[in-house]
Amino acid sequence: MATARRQQAAGTGMLRSPALPVVLILAACAIGVTALLPLIQSSTATSTAGDVRALEAEQTDQRARLRALELEIAQLGSLSRIEQEAAARFKMGPPQILNYIAVDAPAPEAGKIPSRYLAEEPQKHSDSPSLFEDIVDWMTP
Amino acid sequence: MRGQKWGTKWRVWTVMSVIVIVAGVLIARLGQLQILDHQEYAAEARLSHVSEDILSGRRGALLDRNGYPLAGSQDSFDLMVETKAWSDAKSAAEAASALSPIAGVPAEQMVASVSGNSIYEVPVARGLSYDQAQAVRKLGLQGVRLMASSRRVYPEGNLGAQLLGFVGQDNSGLTGLESDLNDILGGAKGTLTYEKDGLGNQLAVGERQEVAAQPGANVVLTIDRYLQRLAETELDKTVEKTKATGGSVIVVQPKTGEILAMASRPTADVTKPDLSDDSKLALFRNRAVTDTYEPGSVFKLVTMACALDQGLVGPYTPWHDSGVFRADNWTIRNWDYSANGDQSVTQILSKSLNTGAAWLATLAGPDQFYSYVDRFGFGKSTGSGLGGEVTGQVHTPASDPGSWRSIDMATNSFGQGLSATPLQVLMSAAAIANDGVMMKPKVIKEIAYPGHIQTVAPEAAGQVIKPETARTLREMMGVVVDGISPTLLDVQGYKVGGKTGTANLTVDGGGYKPDAYISSFLGIAPLDDPVLAVLVKIDEPQGTPWGTVVAAPAFEHIVEAALPYLKIPPTETALVSEQR
Repeated sequence: MATARRQQAAGTGMLRSPALPVVLILAACAIGVTALLPLIQSSTATSTAGDVRALEAEQTDQRARLRALELEIAQLGSLSRIEQEAAARFKMGPPQILNYIAVDAPAPEAGKIPSRYLAEEPQKHSDSPSLFEDIVDWMTP
Repeated sequence: MRGQKWGTKWRVWTVMSVIVIVAGVLIARLGQLQILDHQEYAAEARLSHVSEDILSGRRGALLDRNGYPLAGSQDSFDLMVETKAWSDAKSAAEAASALSPIAGVPAEQMVASVSGNSIYEVPVARGLSYDQAQAVRKLGLQGVRLMASSRRVYPEGNLGAQLLGFVGQDNSGLTGLESDLNDILGGAKGTLTYEKDGLGNQLAVGERQEVAAQPGANVVLTIDRYLQRLAETELDKTVEKTKATGGSVIVVQPKTGEILAMASRPTADVTKPDLSDDSKLALFRNRAVTDTYEPGSVFKLVTMACALDQGLVGPYTPWHDSGVFRADNWTIRNWDYSANGDQSVTQILSKSLNTGAAWLATLAGPDQFYSYVDRFGFGKSTGSGLGGEVTGQVHTPASDPGSWRSIDMATNSFGQGLSATPLQVLMSAAAIANDGVMMKPKVIKEIAYPGHIQTVAPEAAGQVIKPETARTLREMMGVVVDGISPTLLDVQGYKVGGKTGTANLTVDGGGYKPDAYISSFLGIAPLDDPVLAVLVKIDEPQGTPWGTVVAAPAFEHIVEAALPYLKIPPTETALVSEQR
């Protein structure tokens, strides 16, 4: 009897609805995956934030290193050190004879101030909107 | 039965009442904690897991005119310890012992600074370098953290100490330009609020608010480090050679008023400031602008400028020097008590005759004489903007009508009875060198703010004398130098002009200190088109006090090195080798 009903249904082209347990399992899986999404998102955000902080800390450290090196360069170039080195290592001293020679050329220009001591250009932020801004704009016409 | 029932009821009511009262007390206490004292406890709870750091913007650098840093900031770290973390003596001693060799601070000192301290967090070491900070981080000690800070560094050492000044522990300028420009150099402070873990480290995901600190501007000075060092070296040599108590050297560009070098002795060490007493603090004073003196014979240039500019005399106008000049029953004599007979006006300068200067001032009259004194900037600020600058004192018939006498003008004419700063004296010569246009002295060339540069343009204070008067005076200054022995002043390859000065040293309360002098030389170079005006002033030299002997050689050495450095070609006749 039942076999006959199944054959009849197949003959008329109707699909058999899935069994309830299957539906429940699928629904549970869907809910589980949905519930997992915020967790994954949160985990990713945590990890990214950690990376950002670590990079920021590294940037601070590297900047400190850079500034320390800049000042070390300045100290190595100090006049007293140069004079000391010239006298001690190269046995140099003040000239006893001065020779003035006229040359038919303009004097070299004075040295420019190193760019690191000039005003920094303000940081330019990208004007293009982010993906989320695009989505929000699309949703609110 | 009834009595028993009443007894039971009474006991029940008693227990109930106790329960109600206790509950009431608990509720009241809860209300106090949760409502009345909420803010206090919330703040305390927040403090245990949230930190707020004050962020200092990087302090701007002080650069010389060519961009060499004279003072800069190095990022550093302050070592902070939570007092609760070191409440146990044994663990505190262990942690301090681990930190001590890295921070270079004795462990006992660290523990002592933390123990018994009521504040939440205490700095136990300051100004740690990057490498030291890394070593501390590796220890991973609980309750110990590093706070970003900065340390002032002077790459050229103590060069320009009094002009630059120094900063305190809070990174604020305390003296000199560090103080004068504190708002510009210091930037704006920011704050960082964040949640932290048990070790005091910032949580990766947690509350975090940052108000960014703004960096300070870099300031480009007009000072040239080479000329500054030259000036300081020559000043030190002269002070040592003459066993003087101190002195000043200033070098300016007459056309712009830019101060190229400014040094005074005695001085202090800005790299290791010692503020243990007032006498040490006084060493940080920039004496070139904060201290006054009687300029002496170099002031005869002003008197001469007044007489020439009004057309009262010319360089060759004859005058008879009888050796004395009388005013208000007082007698003025020459410095060497000489009577020189018939002289030209130029010889009044070249022989530095007091009697001649008094005669010139009398010719001009008090109104005109003091008008020129005022025009040359005496008795008022030069407008340099340097902190602590004083104006000096000039008594005039207008300012002191009751006590002013003719003898005052006579003595003023050769630089006595009035006071001026070394910078004022130098700027008077700079005006003569600049065809009579007096520029305001300036020490700042540019200020590089984040985003833009502000250039400080030269500013004229006014035309104090006619250009032709200035040119005549320059020629006369050349004659003065021609009269000085080449063994004392002979600038190889260049012609220069100047005037010597030897003044008595005044003492507080009036009068002069016996046998104590201030020797000076005020010069310009090259004479035909001056690019430098230099003042060398030496306080209380021992032995021969004359400016020619004491100060002129230092002027020679400075100018002889400075002119080739500034690419000023020597005169044609010097374009062969010269041998000393």
